[in-house]
Amino acid sequence: MSLSALLPILALLSSLLAAVVIFALPESSHRLRTLVNLLAALLKLGVVAVMTWGVFRGVDFSVSFTMLPGVSFMLRADALAMLFAGLSAVLWLFTTIYAVGYLEDSPNRSRFFGFFSLCVASTMGVALAGNLFTFFLFYEMLTLSTYPLVVHRGTDKSLQAGRNYIIYTLGGGVALLLGIAWLHGLAGDLPFQETGHFQGADPALHGQLTLIFVLLIAGLGVKAGLFPLHGWLPQAMVAPAPVSALLHAVAVVKAGAFGIVRVVYDIYGIDFAYALGLLEPLAWLAAFTIIYGSVRALWQTDLKRRLAFSTISQVSYIILGVTLFGPLGAVGGLVHLLHQGIMKITLFFCAGNYAETLGVHRVDELDGAGARMPATSVAFTLAALGMIGVPPLAGFVTKWALGAGALAAEMEWAILVLLVSSLLNAAYFLPIVYRLWFCPIAAPWPAERRWGRLETHAWLFWPPLVTTLMLVLVGLLAATFVSPLSWAQLIAVRMYLP
Amino acid sequence: MNGLPPVALIAASVLLPLLYPLLAARPGWRGALRAALPLLPLPALVLAMLSATPWTLELPWLMLGSTWMLDELRRSFLLLTALLWSTAGLYAVGYLGSEHLRRFCVFWGLTLAGNLGLVLAGDMVSFYTFFSVMTFAAYGLVVHDGSDRARFAGRVYLVMALLGEMALLAGFLLAAQAVDTLLLADLAAGIGASDDGHLITALLIAGFGVKAGLPLLHFWLPLAHPVAPTPASAVLSGAMIKAGLLGWLLALPIGEAGWGPWGQFLIVMGFVGSLGAALFGMLQRDPKTVLAWSSISQMGLIVVPVGAALAAPGHAPVLLPAIALFALHHGLAKGCLFLAVGLVLPASRILRVLLWLLVALPALSLLGLPFTSGALAKGVMKKALLATPDLPLAEHMPLLLQAATLATLVLVVRYGWMLWLKLEPGGAAACRWWGWILATLCSAVLFWWLPVVR
Repeated sequence: MSLSALLPILALLSSLLAAVVIFALPESSHRLRTLVNLLAALLKLGVVAVMTWGVFRGVDFSVSFTMLPGVSFMLRADALAMLFAGLSAVLWLFTTIYAVGYLEDSPNRSRFFGFFSLCVASTMGVALAGNLFTFFLFYEMLTLSTYPLVVHRGTDKSLQAGRNYIIYTLGGGVALLLGIAWLHGLAGDLPFQETGHFQGADPALHGQLTLIFVLLIAGLGVKAGLFPLHGWLPQAMVAPAPVSALLHAVAVVKAGAFGIVRVVYDIYGIDFAYALGLLEPLAWLAAFTIIYGSVRALWQTDLKRRLAFSTISQVSYIILGVTLFGPLGAVGGLVHLLHQGIMKITLFFCAGNYAETLGVHRVDELDGAGARMPATSVAFTLAALGMIGVPPLAGFVTKWALGAGALAAEMEWAILVLLVSSLLNAAYFLPIVYRLWFCPIAAPWPAERRWGRLETHAWLFWPPLVTTLMLVLVGLLAATFVSPLSWAQLIAVRMYLP
Repeated sequence: MNGLPPVALIAASVLLPLLYPLLAARPGWRGALRAALPLLPLPALVLAMLSATPWTLELPWLMLGSTWMLDELRRSFLLLTALLWSTAGLYAVGYLGSEHLRRFCVFWGLTLAGNLGLVLAGDMVSFYTFFSVMTFAAYGLVVHDGSDRARFAGRVYLVMALLGEMALLAGFLLAAQAVDTLLLADLAAGIGASDDGHLITALLIAGFGVKAGLPLLHFWLPLAHPVAPTPASAVLSGAMIKAGLLGWLLALPIGEAGWGPWGQFLIVMGFVGSLGAALFGMLQRDPKTVLAWSSISQMGLIVVPVGAALAAPGHAPVLLPAIALFALHHGLAKGCLFLAVGLVLPASRILRVLLWLLVALPALSLLGLPFTSGALAKGVMKKALLATPDLPLAEHMPLLLQAATLATLVLVVRYGWMLWLKLEPGGAAACRWWGWILATLCSAVLFWWLPVVR
């Protein structure tokens, strides 16, 4: 087997094997488990880095074998796959570090980290899937491996949230499967390819294809938190902070959004989707979700719940970008896949730090936390400003690209959506920032813990700072060839100008 | 022919205030943090005084591809910004208490970095970035004292500023789409060529108008400028308010034909601001609030030639230097007047007389007393205005300008009176005195040696 076929498998196996080893390890061997976790994360990061470089140079990494007649299992690394794989690989490393610190001294860590690794393996699979069938396989594996993480605490509330999560996502899975099967019946096994498959399809099929599109989007929209399929997301907040970080920034919501990108670009083809009139309704739905999520976020008093509604809103930026017909809009949507991930994971890390260090869960308990935890609060502030879209941070680059895309696609109304959403983001993030820095400490912290010299546990302290540095740098260095923006431009160019 | 950009000096000008907040990381460094306040704008000051203009610095790796530059127009604004921020910084050393010192210094550094950077910005994204950094960081200066009044002012400031930012973003996006470059220099032509030219112009006028205190967008200004700590008030009203003006000068389609109605609109708004602010300002009791209204009034006066430049594109090359000169004069004078509010009366009678003389100097300068910076700036501006062909309201212009002078007089007198009632005997740290004296020297003496004046 050649190296180009081996690497995608290795990227997948690194976390899959880690999961097996961790399940096998006894509960008490914390050091060994941490070591396995970190080694696997680093190995995967290395593999993904090599593959990204290869894809940049034009190497084709792919492997496939037939499972049933007409159905093949296929892994393939194109530029879009590496966007998502890169995001997962980088953020998994930090989330692992964070989770080790977060769950110190708590029970059932073996189970937790086992499923944690499985979850990342599924994400990798979703990223590298080369056709719809393989995508579906990993997409469902993701559902099953995240469920134990959501209910990890085992409280009534988390079990309730988990039940909801599983109902929503399995329901979405059914819709997705129906769509895929139908499509298979129509057109056979469809690998993802850069201009889609239906350019010049028989007009008699258009009706069916439209229905299939609706099914696919409905199935994927559940995970992407698209209104009205978002109900599970705010409830899943009861999960431990690193899980929320993973669900919101990397794995679950992104898998949904990524799937929508795949379906629009690589199955239907953007030109065909546009000609069929599928993009505009999806754009309106995304726009509505953007505003809806932000408005709901305004009224949340629980910090993580507020962040959850913010996720609903921000993930739809990606979908909006996809639906803005033209390479510029695509760039905006794709780049936000990364940018939103970096910013949101920072916010969840910070929320976790406040909860673990001070026992603070509600927004109104944060008064004066900036003085007690300055580094975490700087991270939170910058990530929040990034979400609003203040330059030069990550969110600004997204907003600029989406705005340019909207104008190029002659969908000026989308700019208005972006501006209103920015104002709403400001309205629910800035009061938090204000409390952090400008309000005096009102009452003793609900449950304060101290760890020596740093403001919190070292493993909790560093990850948000590193991701904050990243969200500043991806904006400051957006024009360089290593930036997410440049990568998104590469994808868009390959997609629109094959 | 462009000069070579002095890269190290340019980098230091922006990076020094931008990275300075890192000193706040350790509580033990608060002494250094305070002492460094007046030093932060010095690289920028050297840059403004000495570098051979024009130069252009391409930074293709920065953000979406940045261009920084310095020309004669920007040099005026850079001089003003650097001079005022360093004297106000010196003043602040003697003004700040130990409470929330680190927080104040962090926001001071960031606001300054934004204010200096936007002057050097040659492209839309850089300008917008520094403008935003300044806007958001200045919030920390406005609400510093934590009183209900400051918090209310801060909220109004932030809401207005955010709306302004959104208008700017929309305007810049539309303009960038029309010209297909990010350079500010190409913006005017692009707006002219765009179908949405009028929308872009309206968005940019409104977006920068918030900062510049354009009537109806000014509400935040008399609230926010006075509640900030005195050195911050001075830079808010002297330097930052000019960022809005500079934005107009760089972004509006000045020098392009066909924008007459917008020019006329700005001229009318300018006089409305200039005269209207006097009516509100003369009723105020707090000398800083009087000064804030005076800033709106003076900015109104500056808006008039901006409108004229828009209405008479051929005459813009004469009007722009006049506007820049007036901005420099007003910024320095207004800074002095604000700093004076935080002074105390010395015990000796001679020193008291000297103090009032020095307080009066920038006030008289605003009125255009002979041999002051105001006399020069107002004279040049008036001459440029009256020489503008086909100027809207031309027949009323001399009368209106006289009315504006009267408005200035009313506010200056009111300020002097309120200050007379406010200042009390006592002691103040030496740095506070030196900051104020230096600012006054800049306004009255150094002004004449500045490169853009000579």
